[in-house]
Amino acid sequence: MTSPHRCGVRTSGSDPVSESTAAISLKRFRVPENLRGLAACAVLFAIMAATTEGMASVENLRSIGTAAIPLFLLALGQMAVIISGGIDLSVTATMALSSITGAVVMRETGSTAAGVTAMLTVGAAIGLINGAAVAWLRLPPFMVTLTTQMFLSGLAVWAVQSKNIGGISPGFVRIGKEVGIAAGIAVVCGLLGHVLLRKSVWGRQLFATGFNAEAARFSGLPVPWVRVRSYIAGGLLAAAAAVILTARLETGSPVLGQRMLLDVIGAAVLGGVSLHGGRGHVLWVLGGALFFSVLDNALNLRGLSHFKIMMAKGGVLLAAAALDAWRSKTS
Amino acid sequence: MKPFLFCLLFPFLLTACKDSGSGKPKIGVAFETLQTEFWVAGFDAIKKECAAAGYEAVESVADGDANRQLEQVQNLITRKVDGIILVPKDAQTCLPMIKAANDAGIPISLFNRPAAQSEAKSVAVVADNFSLTKETVLYMIGEAKKTGQKHKAMVIMGDLGDMNAIGRRDGFEAAVKEAGAGVVEVVSRVPSEWNQEKAQAGVTNALQANADISFIFTSSDFLLPSIVSALKAAGKYHKAGEPGHVILGGFDGDATAWSMLKDGYLDATGVQDVYFEAKQCVQAIVDLKAGKTPPALIIDAGFVIHRGNMNDKSAQMWGANIRK
Repeated sequence: MTSPHRCGVRTSGSDPVSESTAAISLKRFRVPENLRGLAACAVLFAIMAATTEGMASVENLRSIGTAAIPLFLLALGQMAVIISGGIDLSVTATMALSSITGAVVMRETGSTAAGVTAMLTVGAAIGLINGAAVAWLRLPPFMVTLTTQMFLSGLAVWAVQSKNIGGISPGFVRIGKEVGIAAGIAVVCGLLGHVLLRKSVWGRQLFATGFNAEAARFSGLPVPWVRVRSYIAGGLLAAAAAVILTARLETGSPVLGQRMLLDVIGAAVLGGVSLHGGRGHVLWVLGGALFFSVLDNALNLRGLSHFKIMMAKGGVLLAAAALDAWRSKTS
Repeated sequence: MKPFLFCLLFPFLLTACKDSGSGKPKIGVAFETLQTEFWVAGFDAIKKECAAAGYEAVESVADGDANRQLEQVQNLITRKVDGIILVPKDAQTCLPMIKAANDAGIPISLFNRPAAQSEAKSVAVVADNFSLTKETVLYMIGEAKKTGQKHKAMVIMGDLGDMNAIGRRDGFEAAVKEAGAGVVEVVSRVPSEWNQEKAQAGVTNALQANADISFIFTSSDFLLPSIVSALKAAGKYHKAGEPGHVILGGFDGDATAWSMLKDGYLDATGVQDVYFEAKQCVQAIVDLKAGKTPPALIIDAGFVIHRGNMNDKSAQMWGANIRK
């Protein structure tokens, strides 16, 4: 079974005799592990707010929130897949296909509910296909999801001949315009994710599968089903993010979010989700998504060029990878 | 904890090299991409025009992501810039950006790409893609007529979600139709989605399927290297006047086109007047701030450059200037 430490619960750990007095006094101020990502984000925000005009304004906080919400949903889905020991590179293509499907349905029916249902169905179906290929056909997650990413991206562009789909119902557009609605979706998804991961049988099976799939299998856990469900969750959350982004742009786009993949994986890993599987927490992902959004927003506000922003984000991603390696060594 | 400290330290270090504010009023310049020479030349021209009008240009680049561009426009609004010059990814996704600027009372102009019809108010400065393409292709058809043979043609189209790409495709088709079926027969229409790799693969496939293609028009000059590569592989890359020369034309007027024109490989290209478009975009912001009402659509007529007029026209061709 999964060790408590790998699931994100800190143990008392090391020998106090070998620690210096300074280290012991520092430990007293140690932030609980589940809140470290949010704490790092708060420190970053404080630094940037103190040195950047307009950073702490209400309008800007709204901007950070609107940027962070879809990233949080995507990273949450990615976390479910990564905990199971997989990875989903097809999330951006899932978003694009969901986006155009929902937009076409809404244009034809005028129904927001029908459009959103279609988008979520597309997301879940793609998750099921990915999960089935990984779990039952035993294909490598990287190759499966890279293939579906390529196929679905092509399908989305081909289906609408590169055209964006306008004429979306005003009720749907409100989801993107009003931060409260999008935030509500994120809170519900976050709470549901937390309950499923920490309180449900599936959640415990997911951690066990990601930590050691062979051991989980020998213990009689339904490993393939656990994995399939993680990919379905990832697909559904990608579709939920597509709902918000499509509503915000008032357009169904066949290339929606095509450059977001590294941000998504970066936010998950930066938060503390281990690429080796078996480790993750909703609050970590929230911290990672907020950290990325605050960083992006602050560097934009400070007038840094596009290339410097890319360098900064690349540096942070490198740090996230180092953090993951360091955690793996020390856990 | 050390990697976390690095996470925090790295952006903090970068903020130390923040672009220093000049104290001048600011115009936000939100580009969809800076990945081709045309956009870089446009960005440089806008910065120069901003400086000439007494403004500082504040850069943001969305790297092809419409949602990121929306966030960047919102950031510019938060910074309370005095105007926004937007280069949108496409005609639809820019509408929420224009509405956000409208709601904030910030004047906004669109460089080179227009928005779709809506209530959102902006000034778009765009090339007359249809007419300029038609004029360019008619010149190429004139060159084709001189050979006394019927030519099989290929057109490389852009991203058809982009109004400019549609205008250029339609201009090509109109010129071919006007010339009549006796001169040029279109046997291949290659979709590139403004992607060099897709263009190269499409042109290579088309040349394999129709080895006798002898007339090619590309909707953007930035795809010329892909076309040249495919033509060389097919043994069809020859100068004008040499046997087997493929009549080649483009649109934009970039440095590659200028170089190929001088060397005799390119027959003509429709040049967008980047300097005119940049000047008009900045002027529109200045006028809107002064309470004037510039037209919602300002047309850059552009011009066709070919070997017959290249010495006279090169000074106006932005691609010729950036090579000097």
